[in-house]
Amino acid sequence: MKTSEETEILEAVEPARFLSGGQALMESFLQEGVDLIFGYPGGAIMPIYDALYDYTDRINHVLVRHEQGAGHAAEGFARTSGKVGVCMATSGPGATNLVTPIADAIIDCTPLVAITGQVFSGLLGTDAFQETDVIGVTTPICKWNYQVTDPDEIPEVMAKAFFIARSGKPGPVLIDITKDAQVKLMTRPFSYKKVEKLISYNPRISPKPDQLEKAAELINKAKKPYIIFGHGVLISQAMEEFRAFVEKTDIPCASTLLGISGISVDHPNYMGWLGMHGMYAPNVMTDKCDVLIAIGMRFDDRVTGDAKRFAPQAKIVHIEIDPAEINKIKNADAPVVGDAREALKLLMPLVKEGDFTSWKNEFKKLEAPEKELVTDRDLKAEGQIKMAEVVKMVSEKTKGEACIVVDVGQHQMVSARYYDFRKPHSYIASGGLGTMGYAIPAALGAKFGAPDREVVAFIGDGCFQMTIQELGTIAQSGLPVKLVILNNNFLGMVRQWQDLFFEKRYSFVELQNPDFITISKGFGLEANRVTEREELSRALDEMLASDKGYVLEVVVEKEENIFPMVPAGTSVSEIRLK
Amino acid sequence: MTQYTICVYGENAVGLLNKITIIFTRRRINIDSLTVSETVRKGVSRFTIVIKHEKREEVEKLVRQIRKVVEVLAVFGYLNHDIVYNEIALFKIPTPVNAKPIDIDTINKVYKAWVVYWELDYVVIEKTGTEEEIFEFFRYLKPYGITEFVRSGRVAVGKTPQGLVEYIPEEMEWEYAV
Repeated sequence: MKTSEETEILEAVEPARFLSGGQALMESFLQEGVDLIFGYPGGAIMPIYDALYDYTDRINHVLVRHEQGAGHAAEGFARTSGKVGVCMATSGPGATNLVTPIADAIIDCTPLVAITGQVFSGLLGTDAFQETDVIGVTTPICKWNYQVTDPDEIPEVMAKAFFIARSGKPGPVLIDITKDAQVKLMTRPFSYKKVEKLISYNPRISPKPDQLEKAAELINKAKKPYIIFGHGVLISQAMEEFRAFVEKTDIPCASTLLGISGISVDHPNYMGWLGMHGMYAPNVMTDKCDVLIAIGMRFDDRVTGDAKRFAPQAKIVHIEIDPAEINKIKNADAPVVGDAREALKLLMPLVKEGDFTSWKNEFKKLEAPEKELVTDRDLKAEGQIKMAEVVKMVSEKTKGEACIVVDVGQHQMVSARYYDFRKPHSYIASGGLGTMGYAIPAALGAKFGAPDREVVAFIGDGCFQMTIQELGTIAQSGLPVKLVILNNNFLGMVRQWQDLFFEKRYSFVELQNPDFITISKGFGLEANRVTEREELSRALDEMLASDKGYVLEVVVEKEENIFPMVPAGTSVSEIRLK
Repeated sequence: MTQYTICVYGENAVGLLNKITIIFTRRRINIDSLTVSETVRKGVSRFTIVIKHEKREEVEKLVRQIRKVVEVLAVFGYLNHDIVYNEIALFKIPTPVNAKPIDIDTINKVYKAWVVYWELDYVVIEKTGTEEEIFEFFRYLKPYGITEFVRSGRVAVGKTPQGLVEYIPEEMEWEYAV
């Protein structure tokens, strides 16, 4: 069995000494190709950190400022690199601080392995210092979790953990390791066998032929077919297959929020993205199509509005890796259970070439009212700077090739709308959970995952203050992560809802903000503030040219509402443009 | 409300019961009864869970979500007519001096129940049957004074020639439990 050089030397000098649990964990990381961990030490995980001390030449550890930051950074890393993100925290409060990122990862299908320390196994259940039943706490939000009390289990459990996290529908796995299991020596030599399937978990990759045939039949018969694709296209790295499929069939397509960047915005068949704040045509046309082809998406309520009234006229083809998603929200006339990439590959020869020029034009026709009522207004250079102008300018300056990380709220929707995504894996957002505070740590993680790409985060002033301490992590990492605060001194999205649905009763949405520039500089980052439109372009150039972590605060229009909008619980046909 | 019996086969792992039951909790479905035992395959446990629900589709969704739990091998949902099922109940009946003697003959022959333990001042009667049969017997015994009553969860087998374990992935060598 392969072990690292260090272990071989160790064993040569002391043949009788086996690895400690902590060392076994490090060797397991190496076996899985992990060279980056985001974490925070503490009492119950100290033996693991002690083992890590000897592995720092092979494993880079990023010390965050709060465990939530470790989790989101690992998520950001996973999203841009396609690898499993790894984070570590101590027992009790360290572990509970990971709860939010774990919940975020399960709902957005982000592969994550979280290691938490735990009190000595003899103390389990006794309310020991920093003891929390982490397995109990995280069971509902983990794809899998397991408590290790014996170092001999570590190689097998870690192999299982990484397999479960990355395969099928990816998700978070938490491994809770008691302190004695970290300290104790294994009773046998370390041996690692990567897991490729489990008796109780073996997700179907290749769809069943009869399902594919039925789907192809529906697609081929369709007069007005329409594809909506989601995160699954990016997760399964199906971008090429998807583009080929779209080009052969000539079917118009739109993405969900997390599907953004699955296909270039310049593609003639790409109609935009749909959902509560999605674009007009992609939303409205769900009511017009006769066959809806859903690929790697799960009919989230932010996409469907009132699900009963979502595309009731359409036959639905649902390509999805998780069988539990089939018929969960919308009944599928032709379910295809399998990996999106495999499914598209196998569907290709079964579907016929199409020409849907006139059908696509129906989408294009709807762009005019949206341009007039929304886009032109958002981009009009008068009054205070608007969020849309900032995003658009960054888009132009980066040629649509940057990796955009966003937080949650109005700026998230504006970024999705006005950035012209031309490269895959470029819209990193907390979609399902809507976790404010996601962007600062996720941007750092995204930069680690894609060091050669420009990483720009758009962050609201409310979100920025939820994980502001991670500015320190960015400074310490030395990486040129660019953070743009779109500051309207409001919790903008909540304020918008209060404006539209609560008679403008602005209940606790106005913020008295700190001086973000002083704070950022205090953390050791470069920082600048823009209040005037004329300064914006130069300030963005300066930010993008910097080779350091950079915070640019842009003071934007205070009370701007984001449209289009499908009010919650209504049908997409009730979409509002103003 | 229709009664459904959900049979879950899972690896015998610590915490699996919790992983299964929280799925019911999340969907606000109350569990009427639950029994767990090892199957003929060593290391494979069987959970028999009885619920009531108005919508079949919701139960199907529940079943698929249970299947998603990593340690779960197979899940089956049944209506009552798909299965043979029973429960066991134990009744403790006081037998003080001068009390009306209990009619063992009726208990045995009419109710198919048996005295499984006795002392000078009480007896314990075991009754196997469906929920309805057990409550019918309960009503019969009530005049004698029931000092303690306990009912097990449902056990059930499907009305198919094969055992359900045959549906479980075969790729592993299983040891038989007995």
